Amino acid sequence: MSSSFVVPRDRHLKWPSLDWLEALLYILCGVCIIGFSLCVLADVTSRELGRPWLWLQQFTTGFFAWGVFIGMALAARRNDHMYLAEIVQSMEGNKRRNLEVFSRLVVLVVSLFLVVFGWANFLNDMGSYRMPSLIPLGYYTISVPIAGALVALFQVEQIVNGLKNGFPDPVASTEQVAS
Amino acid sequence: MNNGFIILIMASCFLGFGYMGVPVVFSITAGVLVAASLTKISFGSIVGQMFHGIDAEALLAIPFFLLVGELMTAANVTTRMIVLAQTLVGHLRGGLAQVVTVFSIFFAGISGSSTADVAALARTVGPEMDKEGYDRAFTAALIAAAATIANLIPPSIMAVVYGATGNVSIGGLFLAGVVPGLMVGAGLMIYSYFFGPPGIHRPRATFGQFSEATKAAALPLVIPIIIMGGILTGWFTPTEAGLVAVTYIVFFLIPIMNRGHLKNLPRDFANVGLMYSIPLAAVAAASAFGWMLAFLKGPEVVSGWISDVAGTNAILIMLLLVVLFVIVGDFVDAVPAIIIFMPILNALAELGQIHPVHMGVTIITTLAFGLITPPYGITLLMSSKFVGVSFMAAVKRSLPLYIVFFTTILFCVFFPRVVLWLPKTLLPESVGCFKNPSGPGHICPQF
Repeated sequence: MSSSFVVPRDRHLKWPSLDWLEALLYILCGVCIIGFSLCVLADVTSRELGRPWLWLQQFTTGFFAWGVFIGMALAARRNDHMYLAEIVQSMEGNKRRNLEVFSRLVVLVVSLFLVVFGWANFLNDMGSYRMPSLIPLGYYTISVPIAGALVALFQVEQIVNGLKNGFPDPVASTEQVAS
Repeated sequence: MNNGFIILIMASCFLGFGYMGVPVVFSITAGVLVAASLTKISFGSIVGQMFHGIDAEALLAIPFFLLVGELMTAANVTTRMIVLAQTLVGHLRGGLAQVVTVFSIFFAGISGSSTADVAALARTVGPEMDKEGYDRAFTAALIAAAATIANLIPPSIMAVVYGATGNVSIGGLFLAGVVPGLMVGAGLMIYSYFFGPPGIHRPRATFGQFSEATKAAALPLVIPIIIMGGILTGWFTPTEAGLVAVTYIVFFLIPIMNRGHLKNLPRDFANVGLMYSIPLAAVAAASAFGWMLAFLKGPEVVSGWISDVAGTNAILIMLLLVVLFVIVGDFVDAVPAIIIFMPILNALAELGQIHPVHMGVTIITTLAFGLITPPYGITLLMSSKFVGVSFMAAVKRSLPLYIVFFTTILFCVFFPRVVLWLPKTLLPESVGCFKNPSGPGHICPQF
């Protein structure tokens, strides 16, 4: 089942053993957006019926924030993030390998910051509550260190596999030659 | 250490890492973390600021507007709108080129994102233009330029981000975007008519063909009415209007028009779940950047530079901002750019007594132009990839189209009354008008 949720692009940079995680994150992206759509729908409906459920807004923002950070982690595995330029794609050899490793090391360091300081924030936020639902703020902000840990894992995966198999996608290169 | 120097280091890290292949969200965050290490600000507060950057209710509208575009494209409902556009303008010189622009105007009223527009056009009209002998570089340039209209005509994701971070009326920005959106559309049509490839001459559609196409496209064309009608009547916030549009598509439009697509809906939702997280993760990082910039008194420094040249002259301030944002838009994506520069925009709007909606719509138009300029013209990159032509060839063919954008931007700068006429008429509160306590109508500030 999971294979249809895993994009084939950059296959050579992925460990098959982590495919279930990509599939799970993809499903969770869907769950978050459906969850938050249903919450907004229930919010509008209850308000129109004259009995607003105020705490629904907190569920809405919860699904929304979790969706952003889960999606951020998934995009890191699929290399789907926004890039300023794709100059790396036009490079070859050692120059490309060094730049690919360097850029992933930068992402790795940033994601470790998100883990360490996001975790500290989470512990702190467990003492703050959102009104009127009284949900601890930490339940929202823990999405940051979790996303950071996943991004870090995916960077390690890509660096190890990239050094072993090379960074350019062999499938894409073959397609380019064929066209 | 000098604040200006820290800002320079922060910006250099962001751009340097970004151009070395680090994704935007991480290159921005890396720049902010480096800057934080040179100040007394804790890393924890930077990470906290990233979370708070997306914890804004107005941003919830973004996934819905993306969802509307994705559902319409995935379910192939957009082809009916293309047929309608064909019956309207397909007989003119450069018929398919005219169809691209008219469809983009229709689609802009439904989706807030250029990417869905590019995908829909490149998959449907693109191959037809190829068959009719249109130069591929022209096709890519035109599709990209026309797709930018999605950021101007409501609902616009850039307007949602601008309104949410700048505390400006989103409804006001939506309505003010209509004039520049239509101007860009008209400009592209005029250019295609006089200077574009002629294409194959088609006979004018009969009234019967036109009414049939209108009937087929009527259900999708209700969506802009739902969105703007809901917002203007005060029934819905932009987020809720987006949700109502999604509900209409899922429970009404797709079952009627493409029932077979219903089984694919969970995948569409999951795709958009990923799609919305990418710009919003950049919003999270950019809000930390903007916060750090404000801490380092960046807005005062930049507004000081601009006020040294322009004084308090609103027109000069706007022109300098346009120059700044043309440059910024060449290198940075529009959404992070809006958030990073928002403190500066607020400071300058106050200095020049510029109406925030006027300032917002001018900046959004300028950033929409940035979507087709190299090196980071994202819609042009996408359309050249879809159409199958080199990016540089598409850039060359898009150069004459820049005139359309420059004219529109300058119009926005010099004619605030025209730009603000629609929000003032339909949503007076959005531009600072208030009900006349001693009679009918509203009392409005001078623009």
